[in-house]
Amino acid sequence: MMKQVNIQFPMRMLGLILGLFLSVSAFAQIDVKGHVKDATGEPIIGATVRVDGTQAATITDFDGNFAIKANQGANITVTYVGYQDAKVKAAPNVVVTLQDDSQVLENVVVIGYGRAKKSDLTGSVTAIKPDEKNHGLITNAQDMIQGKIAGVNVTSGGGTPGGGATIRIRGGSSLNASNDPLIVIDGLAMDNQGIKGAANPLTMVNPNDIESFTVLKDASATAIYGSRGSNGVIIITTKKGRGNMAPQVSYSGNVSYSVKKKTLDVLDGNEYRAFIKSYYGADSDAAALLGTANTNWQDEIFRGAFSTDQNITVQGGIKNMPYRFSVGYTNQDGILKTSNFQRTTASMTLNPSFLQDHLKFNINGKFMYAHNRYANEAAIGDATRMDPTQPIYSTDGKYNNYCGYWQWVDNGASLKDETYPTMWNRNTVANPLSRLYEKYDRANSYDYMGNVEVDYQVHGFEDLRLHANLSGDLAHGKQKTDYEKWGPSNFYYGNSGYSYEKKYNLTLSTYAQYYKDFLKTQHFDVMVGYEWSHNKYWGDSYYAGVYPTTTKQTITNADGTEIAAAGQPYNASTSIWKSENYLVSFFGRANYIAWDRYMLTFTVRRDGSSRFKEHWATFPSVALGWKINEEAFLKNVNWLDELKLRLGWGKTGQQDGIGDYNYFATYNVNTTNVDGRYPINGVNNDGLLYRPDAYNQDLKWETTTTSNIGLDFSVFNNRLSGSVDYYYRKTTDLINDAYVSAGSNFRNKVRSNIGSLENKGFEAAVTVRPIMSKNWQWEVTTNFTYNKNKITELTGESSIVLTGGISAGTGNNCQAHSVGHPANSFYVFQQVYDENGLPLEGVYVDRNADGVINDSDRYFYKSPAAPYTAGLSSRVQYKQWDFGFGLRASFDNYVYWDKEAGYSNTAKRFDSSFGYLQNTIQGAIERNWSTYDHALSDYFVHNASFLKCDNITLGYSFDKNFGVGGRVYVSATNVFTITKYEGIDPEVSGGIDNNMYPRPLTFLVGLNLNF
Amino acid sequence: MNLKYFKNIIPAAALVAAVGLSSCTKDLDVTPIDPSKTMVPDEAALFTKCYAQMALQGQTGANGDCDIDGLDGGTAGFVRQLFNANELTTDEAICAWGDPGIPAFNFNQWDASHPMLQGFYYRLYTGITYCNHYLDVCADADATHVAEIRFLRALFYYYLMDCFGNVPFATALMTTPPEQIQRADLFNWIESELLEVKDQMMSPATRKDTDNDYGRADQDAANLLLARLYLNAEVYTGTARWSDAKTYAEKVINGPHKLWTTGTNGWSAYQMLFMGDNGSNGASQEAILPLLQDGIKTTAWCTSLFLAASTWKSDMDTNSDYGTSEFWAGNRARSQLLAKFFPQGDAPEATISEMATAAGDDRALFFGKDRTLVVDTPTEFTSGYSVGKYRNTYSSGGNAHDSKFVDTDFFLMRSAEAYLIAAEADARINGGSTTATGAGYINALRERANTTTRSSYTTDQILDERSRELYFEGFRRTDLIRYGYFGGDKSGQYLWDWKAGSQNGASFAAFRNVFAIPAEDMNANPNLKQNTGY
Repeated sequence: MMKQVNIQFPMRMLGLILGLFLSVSAFAQIDVKGHVKDATGEPIIGATVRVDGTQAATITDFDGNFAIKANQGANITVTYVGYQDAKVKAAPNVVVTLQDDSQVLENVVVIGYGRAKKSDLTGSVTAIKPDEKNHGLITNAQDMIQGKIAGVNVTSGGGTPGGGATIRIRGGSSLNASNDPLIVIDGLAMDNQGIKGAANPLTMVNPNDIESFTVLKDASATAIYGSRGSNGVIIITTKKGRGNMAPQVSYSGNVSYSVKKKTLDVLDGNEYRAFIKSYYGADSDAAALLGTANTNWQDEIFRGAFSTDQNITVQGGIKNMPYRFSVGYTNQDGILKTSNFQRTTASMTLNPSFLQDHLKFNINGKFMYAHNRYANEAAIGDATRMDPTQPIYSTDGKYNNYCGYWQWVDNGASLKDETYPTMWNRNTVANPLSRLYEKYDRANSYDYMGNVEVDYQVHGFEDLRLHANLSGDLAHGKQKTDYEKWGPSNFYYGNSGYSYEKKYNLTLSTYAQYYKDFLKTQHFDVMVGYEWSHNKYWGDSYYAGVYPTTTKQTITNADGTEIAAAGQPYNASTSIWKSENYLVSFFGRANYIAWDRYMLTFTVRRDGSSRFKEHWATFPSVALGWKINEEAFLKNVNWLDELKLRLGWGKTGQQDGIGDYNYFATYNVNTTNVDGRYPINGVNNDGLLYRPDAYNQDLKWETTTTSNIGLDFSVFNNRLSGSVDYYYRKTTDLINDAYVSAGSNFRNKVRSNIGSLENKGFEAAVTVRPIMSKNWQWEVTTNFTYNKNKITELTGESSIVLTGGISAGTGNNCQAHSVGHPANSFYVFQQVYDENGLPLEGVYVDRNADGVINDSDRYFYKSPAAPYTAGLSSRVQYKQWDFGFGLRASFDNYVYWDKEAGYSNTAKRFDSSFGYLQNTIQGAIERNWSTYDHALSDYFVHNASFLKCDNITLGYSFDKNFGVGGRVYVSATNVFTITKYEGIDPEVSGGIDNNMYPRPLTFLVGLNLNF
Repeated sequence: MNLKYFKNIIPAAALVAAVGLSSCTKDLDVTPIDPSKTMVPDEAALFTKCYAQMALQGQTGANGDCDIDGLDGGTAGFVRQLFNANELTTDEAICAWGDPGIPAFNFNQWDASHPMLQGFYYRLYTGITYCNHYLDVCADADATHVAEIRFLRALFYYYLMDCFGNVPFATALMTTPPEQIQRADLFNWIESELLEVKDQMMSPATRKDTDNDYGRADQDAANLLLARLYLNAEVYTGTARWSDAKTYAEKVINGPHKLWTTGTNGWSAYQMLFMGDNGSNGASQEAILPLLQDGIKTTAWCTSLFLAASTWKSDMDTNSDYGTSEFWAGNRARSQLLAKFFPQGDAPEATISEMATAAGDDRALFFGKDRTLVVDTPTEFTSGYSVGKYRNTYSSGGNAHDSKFVDTDFFLMRSAEAYLIAAEADARINGGSTTATGAGYINALRERANTTTRSSYTTDQILDERSRELYFEGFRRTDLIRYGYFGGDKSGQYLWDWKAGSQNGASFAAFRNVFAIPAEDMNANPNLKQNTGY
């Protein structure tokens, strides 16, 4: 976004500071002839060549050559957009190689509303450029940062193609409001409302277009985002073209193949027959239902799946206008049959500059079209429960109405249709294959994102810059869902319909920046800004079935007349909704740098949000930096490249995920729900109902106060570098849907400010480069995070806030928030075991020793969030070969195995009420429980620590021998997992493991070409 | 220095800023743009919502937002939990399902974290807050409407008092947690409310579903609730009020809501009370407070559909005369309920119509084929006779509106109850058996059921008669408590299959005569003291 604009800010400072040490001697002028090229040897056309301290300047010609007069030994600076500045001593013949701008990232990072030299940062900021070599399958930008950054946890929701992920920066700071970080793409803060067909805002960007990620972690870095900064900020900058350069075309693409790794170990057909006969008796009603088949339902619903990804980029520059265009296409099949994700992206970037670079534009346009074919994931659960002795298909004429799929059926008399003697028994398990093929569910989503950024360096007052960015995001998505009438979900009537969503996000931000250097050693800059943003979203839906033409059913019209139902819509439902919010902000930042060693940063943001009655709140921060290695006593220590201490403190807010209209009284009107009316003739003939909605006019911002202390270091010529941080974050006025005392509000749960929590943590990131030779390079990057989350206060009305719904029963929760425990801790009974180590059904430890087992015997046992996480990636390059892998570990994260608890009732493997059989796991048979009542046992909470290998990659790069350079590589993703957890995958977002779409193992072959 | 540009920029920027900023901060004062939200009250829609709270699960029909958090709408429905709390806990009903909470009901083992009792409790309180809100914003509305909403609020509090004893008490919306009221004090408040509003309510009249005001509570609803209150006054306050009970019950008996006595098309008059067209077939003359259901317009999983589907299995549908596609096969009779009709324990393995004939009583709507009389296995639906009382069939022979959701209105209050209250009060006053007047009330019910009559009935016989007349309608727990047969000292004198979790039945303690205040509210409201024993 603001690349050209601010890139000069640190460089300029550098120049000024360097200038202080340079003595300008009076040498005779000479003619300097030079050639400017890039790292690949291509000449650079139009680069600016200046002699420092003089007015002399020129630009390079079409061959990259220049000629200029300069004093012998004077410094000549060569600058060019997209490249790092270079300096040479004046000599008759010079050759200047400009380093790619991407390496500038090493030194300059994007921060909120600006850029800063990395060495001048006072906050906890991690900037990474995606590793273009060492990675597995990447569909979503989130895949590029998984396991790569200390303090950042990315947990994908499962193996759904194009699926989203949970991103947590330094643990969750909130309970019920959003814990998602703010994502800023090219200056536009994205809202976290998804759109039909797109999992999260990161889906909108083609990963191949991403230049860099900057993760702002502590408050001194995020407070500039005020009320949206509490969960950290991820700033994504997309790639840009470079000035005045011939068009360069590059291609990257890959083909991958995914397979399922593990399925749940349920009984097979023979085991199941034996079990039913021994449990219920060989002559029982249960045994009579057994079939003769051996169907492995889980094998039947999954498949091997191919995917491809193709990208073409053209970049270059026409005079003062660098450009970059890219298009990308991803087509990913999921391993669950029928699932597929396709995405087409296009992006355009133009960066013209005028008035001797005083006026610069940055124009971005991005387009995304995604087509999602969602599989009916209900099949995953059904496959683990469906009787394995039944066949997939049956030729029995009885199943003709079921498209030949074998099903548990029941008397169909109530359908009043002689062609339907039977109907699907709704209370049984459906044939998993019929689940997959009965539902045609697809979404198309479109996203248009653009921004125009103007930066003006005031003529004659060059210390002042004015900056404006107008950005917008318009997205719409339509999901269409059709259920076949032969399928279980909407048997007989079928169902078809759509849900349509549309939203826009419009943001105008402006700021002015003023720099001042004085007394030769002191630097001061200040930025003040204003931002206005408006989010609006709306949508509607319509779903209906159809009475088959053969039905004898009738419909009663509103006027009481009865008509034949055949062909009429059945159970039509519609909804419409609309909402919006505004955020108006004023913000500022001041930096003071003394002797290039002592740094002070102060930021403040005042946010006004339409989501609270009291709109306004202020979020300040202050930070100090000390470059210890610049002190006299360390200046001569050669092995020490950098040693910097950072101290920061700040306040941030949180206002996402809490609804737009929670603080004033409204009524819900059931306008579109024609089946939810209560007509009383003479009073309310159409039966429209007004429900007073619960509201809380005292609802206020969540505020997080963060203190951070960090140390950055680099030694032995960058062979070993890294940073460590310790932080303490306290969130007050936590927003949660909390139970309120009965009778005091219109609902038993109301969105309220209920307490405080804290996160304490330690992060370390270390990069080691053990081998740095001409042929061999080896780099290992590791990170380690420790985060301890604890609730410190809950207001009197809610000493225990239950959460974490499980599948056993309705409204059963296995987690709770309570003071002194991590948020979402498991809140369960302590299981008692028999002498064989088997858990005794319903026998719990009487923890409060009052002689009865009741709710007060539940205790807090472990937490789903891992206190310890770590990542490691390694890359070795030998000549043109590269080999890399990534590992990720999580320790002491616990998972409630909901699936296992769901099998508890062994007695109900044959359900006599509904007359069907369902499968189970061996462990449940051994437990031999006979109710579903005791799911809230700590028996089902398991340690799910794991070590995963996310990817292994081998690549070979080739130079432009035949006019084409590039790289070929092979890679495997999600290679192995080491864990004691017996479920399918220990990595479970939220810690409740039910029917997750399993993450596949993927093999990939890729090719990059540069023309 | 060239300040030319700068000079121009400053005023321009200032102008833009001034205009932009002042208008933008006003954007923050939003009002809803959502078409499903409004800020302007509508009297009729708020009035009806208070009634709908008993019959619907929420604002969106059978599926969707259910007004209550923590339990799904189908489960948290008023009628469903009224049934569960007052029937599954007794000698009448047992459920085969494994849903958490069901076994605890079956076996009298509930505690403060019982999910369904929590849903019932919050359903009632949500209704109370809707009433309080109505009384706040619609105080100037039609006086009859205001009186009715006060009646409904008293009715919700009645169920809370009956089930939970000492409960939080709020008659207006408040920002602080309500104080707890003692059961006897709440009794007094309900009594005085009912006495105060009774005469402002609509005059009693019989109505059909096509008539105006069908579904509203009239003065006899207040009279019947008062009668019920006085009948159980000793339980609630320690002081019996038998003659008051009789007085108010007789007001109902002598009012227009007569027993429905005319069968049609082979359906008995009693059966017609529980059929799909009970709003239009005439039976609604007996209804004092019908909860409206319609397969198209007023759909819910938790009301009449629950009563029908949870008690039916598809093998009972021999003549395709049941009327909905839903068969959930959960609730059925314990053998003690069959014994009310077959004291010799000789209930035949028969269809529903055969059973009524064998019992010589139209009300014996049980199905015994492929069933065992005694509940050996609580989790087996066929262990115990099935109950075929509720259906969606039309007695007129017409078609139901929908193949799934039922049209069967649920008569939450019907005049038969007044006959039973008057007779029992009469017997209590008269030393334990009825006078001729009291016997006449019971005989009226028995004649309607085409069964034998007597000249006098003891209180225990009246308790049995209540079971025969009102089984599966949500009364039984209260009745057994009044007679002492539920929990407590006399608990052992009347045992039923699986009482207190023991197959042959066992007694349990008196503290179980009220349910526990749900743990969630104990957490949320520091003013609450848990009921003794929990």
